[in-house]
Amino acid sequence: MKNPYYPIDTVVEDIITETPTIKTFVLKPAKPIPFRAGQFMQLTVPGEGEAPFTPSSSPSVKERMEITVLRTGKVTDSLHEFKPGAKVGLRGPFGKGYPLEKLEGKEVLIVGGGVGLAPLRSLIYALLENPAKYKRVSIKYGARLPDELCFRRQYEEWSKVAPNVDFTNTIDVEAPGWTGRVGLVTTLLDDLDVNIDQSIALSCGPEIMLKFVTLKLLEVGYKPIQIYLSMNRKMSCGMGKCGRCNVGHYYLCVDGPDMNYDKIKHVPNVFG
Amino acid sequence: MVISLFTKKLMLFIDSTNFERLLRKLSSEGELFIPVPEEETGKLHLQRVEDFPLPELVTFEGYRMVEPLKAFAQLLRYPVAEYPSPDTDELPEDKKVPAFVIVGARACDIYALELVDKVQVEGEFVDPFYKIRREKMFIIAADCTECGESCFCNLLGNGPWPERGYDLAISKVSGGFLIVAGSEQGEKIVETNGEFFAEPREGLVAARDENRQRVVKKLAENNGDYPSVDGLPELIREHLTADIWDDIAAKCVECGACTNICPTCYCFLLYDQKVDGEHFQRIASWDSCQVTGYARMAGMLNPRPRLTDRVKHRYHHKYDYLVLSHGAVYCTGCGRCIDTCSAGIDMRDAFRKVKAAVAK
Repeated sequence: MKNPYYPIDTVVEDIITETPTIKTFVLKPAKPIPFRAGQFMQLTVPGEGEAPFTPSSSPSVKERMEITVLRTGKVTDSLHEFKPGAKVGLRGPFGKGYPLEKLEGKEVLIVGGGVGLAPLRSLIYALLENPAKYKRVSIKYGARLPDELCFRRQYEEWSKVAPNVDFTNTIDVEAPGWTGRVGLVTTLLDDLDVNIDQSIALSCGPEIMLKFVTLKLLEVGYKPIQIYLSMNRKMSCGMGKCGRCNVGHYYLCVDGPDMNYDKIKHVPNVFG
Repeated sequence: MVISLFTKKLMLFIDSTNFERLLRKLSSEGELFIPVPEEETGKLHLQRVEDFPLPELVTFEGYRMVEPLKAFAQLLRYPVAEYPSPDTDELPEDKKVPAFVIVGARACDIYALELVDKVQVEGEFVDPFYKIRREKMFIIAADCTECGESCFCNLLGNGPWPERGYDLAISKVSGGFLIVAGSEQGEKIVETNGEFFAEPREGLVAARDENRQRVVKKLAENNGDYPSVDGLPELIREHLTADIWDDIAAKCVECGACTNICPTCYCFLLYDQKVDGEHFQRIASWDSCQVTGYARMAGMLNPRPRLTDRVKHRYHHKYDYLVLSHGAVYCTGCGRCIDTCSAGIDMRDAFRKVKAAVAK
């Protein structure tokens, strides 16, 4: 019988420093692990344990996978000390992934905050592979400070892919040398020029940001069913068995981690 | 055994001597566990028996054991993976367990296994460790001939004898047992040991039914002050009666005993431990949603930081969430959580409080 707890041996091929606290790890598993944008992996750091990460790379690239990690706990502290050549393990993919088929023909609004752009980057790769399938792809991104902006090297490339793709970013507070927009990511939603009736919004970021993005989206006219949120709970087994990642009656590891807001809006303290 | 569509239920009689002979034969096929009462309290514990004749205290009467049957299928603590990984993701043969025969399983526990099966074996992913152990269980069910003070299976619409989920089921009657097979494996045992069985004497079925009705009546009397669980999922889902959870949480000491002893609580923790050098094992271990760190994430984020949140979560998980996700209330009314709670928290009180709060 197959053992789903078995991690696939994986080598860290390269490490890219994104920000002082965020690094991207380029992983080469012993055998290719196909995944859909938004599905997540359980990454083993030998001796430390497992932690869930949604790949930040293109689902079309089969041999390698990138994960982008904020240093924030036991497993991620160890990861950040790693050098290329280090060995890790991967299990997965788990979860549903983004509802790509529902985005076809739509004005797709992507709202990311901080390291929350990581899973969304995988989605962006998937969408921008064939931008004509979507009426519009509008990416809004915020971080606290300029040096906390993730994937800065790609912003220009994204906004030039096709005329129906745009990228705007902001930082939370004024910073020396910064000439771009200042204000929380929700301010990028103030004068939205998308056709809301035809739009689907997808957001990933800290819970507090998800909360205010959701409130803002509702305020400007989105219906709950048009909003997808990457929820955060402790996902451990990845298979709906260990019991701890519930949002209401959903297990995020099976039903998410991206949840349609209409399904979870009734859950008390859904944003923690 | 795995729940099958086995429907033939031929009722036979087996006298006590032959029943012991049957157990002796079964004990050569797997580890035999039978109920033995504590001398002082009479409470039943499952004990491994290797020698015959059976210990004098053994009894197939009374009500459920102290230990839940889930402990046979989902071990308290077991390795699920190792690092570096083996070359294959097929489980090696030595991970397989010997067959075990459990005698005296009660309806509440057998139903609980059916519920946990839905989580661990059904769906996209199968937990192979649970499945292997589950398939190795040979279950001889027994009717309850009494009920405990904490038993409340009747409030859940369940009863003191099982309808399915067993290999053989016995009902104590004068001189022995009425016995039925509930699976192909059980039927095979009956067929290959025909000399132990006889046609039931007249009146035995009536005697069995009388016993059953006596226990049903006793359950109704014991639980007369409590409402049934009918409609509870909708009530706790739609009426967020926060005060109730605050009241219960005020007494709770957060020990996790209720979830550990619960036959349907299946949550587990995965953690890694060093074996030697660069060799690590990943361990699955029972866990409790009642303790602080259960759902805590990196960065100390915790969706249920307050005890009230966790207490409420336990009730919602059993009576609301799993009804929506797995189609059943995940409580069988075994009452173990009541017996074990050092703070005297009684689940039946919560039903009463929810229903009273809604009625206001």
